[in-house]
Amino acid sequence: MAKNFDVIVIGAGFGGPVAAKICVDAGYRTLLIERAEKPGEKVISGLTIPFYGFLFGPEFIVNGNPPIERPADGIINYIILDIEKETIEIDDSLKIPKPFSPIIAFGYNTYCQPFCEWETDIAIKSGVTFLNATTVVDIIKEDGFVKGVETDKGEKFYSKILIDAEGSQGLLAIKAGVREKYPPEMISLADTYDYIISKKLLDNIFGYTVSFCWGWDEEKIAPPLGYGNGLMLWPYRESIHFIQDQCLVLENNKIPNLKKNFQTYHKNITSKLPFWKNNVAPYAKLRAKMFQGFEIFVGLKKNLRNMPNYTDGMLLIGDAAGLESTELCDGVPSAWFSAEIAAKVAISAIEANDFSASFLSIYDMQIKDHPIIQWSISGRNRHDLRFAQKSHDKEELKKYVHNGWGLGALTHFSTPLIQMIVKILREHPEIVKRWIKMYFRYFQNYLYNDYGTKISKYRYNQIRKNRNSKNEVLFRCFLIFIDLIMKIIVTFYKMFKRLIPSVEFINPFVKRILPQFEPLFIKLINLLEPLLNLLSKKIIKFTQYANPYLFS
Amino acid sequence: MEKKFEEFPGVSWTPCPEQFITIEEKLCTGCAACIMVCLADCFEIKNKKAKVKSLEKCMECSSCWYICPADAIQFSFPSGGTGFKTQYG
Repeated sequence: MAKNFDVIVIGAGFGGPVAAKICVDAGYRTLLIERAEKPGEKVISGLTIPFYGFLFGPEFIVNGNPPIERPADGIINYIILDIEKETIEIDDSLKIPKPFSPIIAFGYNTYCQPFCEWETDIAIKSGVTFLNATTVVDIIKEDGFVKGVETDKGEKFYSKILIDAEGSQGLLAIKAGVREKYPPEMISLADTYDYIISKKLLDNIFGYTVSFCWGWDEEKIAPPLGYGNGLMLWPYRESIHFIQDQCLVLENNKIPNLKKNFQTYHKNITSKLPFWKNNVAPYAKLRAKMFQGFEIFVGLKKNLRNMPNYTDGMLLIGDAAGLESTELCDGVPSAWFSAEIAAKVAISAIEANDFSASFLSIYDMQIKDHPIIQWSISGRNRHDLRFAQKSHDKEELKKYVHNGWGLGALTHFSTPLIQMIVKILREHPEIVKRWIKMYFRYFQNYLYNDYGTKISKYRYNQIRKNRNSKNEVLFRCFLIFIDLIMKIIVTFYKMFKRLIPSVEFINPFVKRILPQFEPLFIKLINLLEPLLNLLSKKIIKFTQYANPYLFS
Repeated sequence: MEKKFEEFPGVSWTPCPEQFITIEEKLCTGCAACIMVCLADCFEIKNKKAKVKSLEKCMECSSCWYICPADAIQFSFPSGGTGFKTQYG
C-alpha cells in the first residue's frame, strides 16, 4: 500500500468521508483512516439531522439517497411539572403544517452506522483509499509541520495536509499541540436506548414528531434540571431511539453517580410518564443500550470557542474542532459544512504548495463567516433553559423551551437561515429544484426502505402497477416553473442588490410579530385541517407511486 | 472472539490486547470520580487508589479521562478493529 498521499483524513464518521471525497474528486491522492472495522459502528447518537445540513451540505448528499429512518416534522415538548399528579404542559408549536409535512421535513432521524457507511462507500467509489480497523496513535511532525500519521500497527503514512475528523475527544489535536482537553463540565454523557416497536404503533403514537421531556429536578424524569438535556425520543422506521444525558459535573462541582441516576430516570420514565407507560411500554422491546460522551456549550465559552482549529499542515473539522451545536445538541451539519470548507482549503493549499498556519487561517475565517455554524455553536437557549429549570421558574422554562425547541426558534434562526439561502441562491438558483427533488426522493426512500442508487424489485413493481403519468407530467411542469421563478428572483436580486437591505433585521422582526402571528397561524391550520389532510394524502400517494427517476 | 453482555444488548466487544486506559498510581488521589461516571464498571478502588478493573464493557466515552481531577488517567482509543461496536447508535 502507498505510504504517501496528498491528503490524509482521520475518521470515517459523518464529516471525514465528505472531506475525503472532495479532495479525491479534485484529483488528489487521499487516504481515509478509520479505527472501527465498519464506518459508524462506534458512533452513538440519538439523531435527527436537521434540514439545513441537507440543504446546505455536501452535493453528494443533496443529490444522493442516504439511509434515513424517518422524516421528522415537529417537536412535542412535554414540560413535566409534577409527574405523580401527571401535571404536564405541552409545547408542540414547532411543527411543519400539512400538506408540506411529512414530505418537507425539518430533519431526518437516522442510525449513525449505515449513514456513515453509505458516505464512506461513496468516497471509496470516488477513489479514496480506505484503511479500516486502524487507529492513528500519533502525528508525525517535521520542522513544526504536521507531515503524516503513525498507526497502531507501526505504519507511517505521509501527506501534504492532514484533516482531523477524529471526534470530540481530540486526542490527536492535543498531541499536535493544537487544542486542549475540555473541562469535565463541558462533557455530557448520553445514556441511549433503542426499542423495537411496530411501525403501525409508531405511526399512531408519534407519527413524524420527535418528543422531548423537560421537568424539575425532583421529578427525576429528565436528568437533574440544569445539568443535562432532558429526555429525547426519536421515532425511527420500526424502532424508537431514546436518550437521556447528563453533565459529568454538577454546578457545585459535585460529581453525580451517573449509573444510579440514569437507572432512576429510566425507571421513572418507563413507569410514570403517561404516554410511555400506557402507549409504549407494553409494546416495546429493548434492542440495544449504549452510552457515549459529547461536548456541550463549548461554543459559549470564549476561550474554548477560540481554540485553534488549524496548525501548520493540519485542519480540524466537526466535533474535533468543537463545532457540536450548543443550541441544538447536534454535530452533523457543522461536520459536513466544516468538512467541505476544510477540503476546499486543503485543495488550495496543495495548489499553492503552502501548508503554513498563516495560509490555512482562511479555514478559520470561513468557519467564522458561516451563518449556520456560528448560530448553532453560539445559541444560548438550551443553556438558558437549564438555568430556568434550576430556578423553578415555570414561565422562564416555557419561554426557553419555546425559543429553543418550539416556534420561538424562528426568532433567532431566521436570519442565519435566510443569509444562507441568499448565499447559495446567488450562485445556484437551480438548487431549489434540487431541494424539492431531494425531499421527494428521501420520502420515497422512507416509504420503501430503499436507499442508495439501486431501486428494489419490490419498489419497482409497486410503482409500476400504480403510476400516474399525468401527475408526473404536472410535477415536471412544477419544477420547471419553480426553476424559472428562482432564476427571475435571483436576476432581480443581482440587479437591485444595492437597494436590498441586509437580512440582519429578520430576527428582531420575527421576534416582534411572532406573538401576534402564532395564534393566528394555529387557528388557520386548525380551520383548514380537513382540507390540508386531504391534500397531504394525495401528495403522499403521488410520491409513493411516482417514477423514482423523477426525483433523481 | 466477540463478547456480549446482557446489560448492554445490541453492543458487542472485540477485546483489545492492550490496556488502552491506564492510571498513573502516583497521581491518583483515590477520589473515585472515575467510578462515579463510568457506566461500564471499569474501575475499582484498591488500597485507596483507583485501578482499572476491566475494560471489557468500555464504550470508549472517555468520561474517566475528562473527570479525573488529578489528571492521573491516560486515555487512548483501543487498537484498530477492537473495542465496542454497535449498529444501533
